[in-house]
Amino acid sequence: MSSIRVTGLRVRHRKTLALDSLDLELGTGVHGLLGPNGAGKTSLIRVLATVARPDAGRVELLGADTAGHRGLAGVRRRLGYLPQEFGYYPGFTVREFVAYVAWLKEMPAADVPAAVERAVARVGLADRIDAKVRTLSGGMVRRVGIAQAIVNDPAVLLLDEPTAGLDPEQRVEFRELLRALGASATVVVSTHLVEDVAAACTEVTLLDAGRVAYRGTPEALTRLGEASDGPGDHPIERGYTAALRAHRAPGAREAVR
Amino acid sequence: MTHRDSHQWHVPDDQATRYAEGTLPDPDAWSLEKHVEDCARCASRVSAAVGGTAAGTVLAAVRAAVLESAPGAAVSGEAVLGRAAMTPAAGAAGPTEAVLGGRPVVSRFARLLWAAGPAVRGAWLPAVLGVAVAALALSYGAGFPGARALLLAIAPVVPVAGVTLSYGPHADPLHEVTAATPGGGLRLALTRTVAVLAVSLPLLTLTGLLLPASGAPAAAAWLLPGLALALASLALASFVGCRAAAGVTGGGWLCAVLAPVAVAPGGAATLRLAEQLSRCLDGVAAQSAWAAAAVLSATLLTARRPAYDRPLRP
Repeated sequence: MSSIRVTGLRVRHRKTLALDSLDLELGTGVHGLLGPNGAGKTSLIRVLATVARPDAGRVELLGADTAGHRGLAGVRRRLGYLPQEFGYYPGFTVREFVAYVAWLKEMPAADVPAAVERAVARVGLADRIDAKVRTLSGGMVRRVGIAQAIVNDPAVLLLDEPTAGLDPEQRVEFRELLRALGASATVVVSTHLVEDVAAACTEVTLLDAGRVAYRGTPEALTRLGEASDGPGDHPIERGYTAALRAHRAPGAREAVR
Repeated sequence: MTHRDSHQWHVPDDQATRYAEGTLPDPDAWSLEKHVEDCARCASRVSAAVGGTAAGTVLAAVRAAVLESAPGAAVSGEAVLGRAAMTPAAGAAGPTEAVLGGRPVVSRFARLLWAAGPAVRGAWLPAVLGVAVAALALSYGAGFPGARALLLAIAPVVPVAGVTLSYGPHADPLHEVTAATPGGGLRLALTRTVAVLAVSLPLLTLTGLLLPASGAPAAAAWLLPGLALALASLALASFVGCRAAAGVTGGGWLCAVLAPVAVAPGGAATLRLAEQLSRCLDGVAAQSAWAAAAVLSATLLTARRPAYDRPLRP
């Protein structure tokens, strides 16, 4: 069963059409969301996070329609979301901050302290758990953001550019965490870094100008790159550009899908 | 760790047993205790040896009794243990298990404070204190007779400002995350409104009591208008966003109170302000009207609740 089902989704962002009649079904696993700037990745993640309201179309999460007021709270309890621009309260400690988000997610009070410690340990910040957030580096703040997203063991986890600001070692560790999370949850990761997708994702969705340009496994995208002579240093990068060009070529729009 | 383990001393079994019995000589016991601070393997062996003695049985009984006597704690303790057992990777959960039984009450209060925190922090709290101190300074320092009238004119706007400065995309840095949670809508807005009211109502009313009346209404006369304006702001915010709503309600109040004072001819301004405030606040009719406005706003807010499911207009 798909935990995310999107049909005919249309989203406007500042008078331009960010997403245009998008259909998408995502199930358990790690889904990489790729695409050039302005392709609609953030718009899609915000709609899936139930933050932005779609202008048209239907968004079903975990079997519930997110348009109504009734099912929304139940869905949100099982949701994790890391926005692209992650604001925080600088005076909170990491523990307080993650516990505060757990409270907002209406977790049972008795589960919160252990869940907070576990989430913080999973992002590798166990030794800084009682440090104030303002004393942390940019990469650490990003990891606090990931911790608050996973504190409730979400069934649907949405991460917008989670690896921005992480150093290479942290990114390798983060991919490992992604794989572990993707074993039981539907994880959607928007990213610019194609190698993150190749290493951690079970499926790739390539967006361009508000539409799905390509869907497949990272392996399939790599094979597409090996077969093409497009620009790029790695086969999967060549696959990325080849899929984009095939999608943009006149008349080819239907063929790729 | 491992490079030290290769040549490090470990606790022999007979020492662990004698330590548990209490028959190990003191110097040996000290070195054993020092060692188990760092060595998890020996610590668990010594702990198992102690657990097998009479003291261990007593400790287990005390722990069970404590868990049972704390309401709901036995369940939570078990839940945490079950959770830790299910996820062997959760190494950090270990040391806190036993402590958890007594914490929910404390942490519920702490979380409420966190939720309210951003409301009472920042620019608003100094502003409220500033209003109170300025009113007192005007009255006692400068001998200004109309300090209470001035305070009563400004007070109802203070909670409105507090709500606006604490909730919504423009005011809360965490708003994008909050908007995706079940508790981040009206529940959070109300929590912060309550925090704002809990600070401003007593503080400004007490300040008013300390000021000479000089014709102005009673110090508590602004309470219902303050509540009504705060609720009206929340209800209105569901249509036009927090800032515009606060502008309408707070600005509307200030216009209603101050405009006639500026326009009306004759007499000292402070006297005219006191008279205008009396018209707005004094008497059963005026206070009933404010109560009705508060109830109406609360009803409208309840009806508009779904609007708080998504971020309000900035």
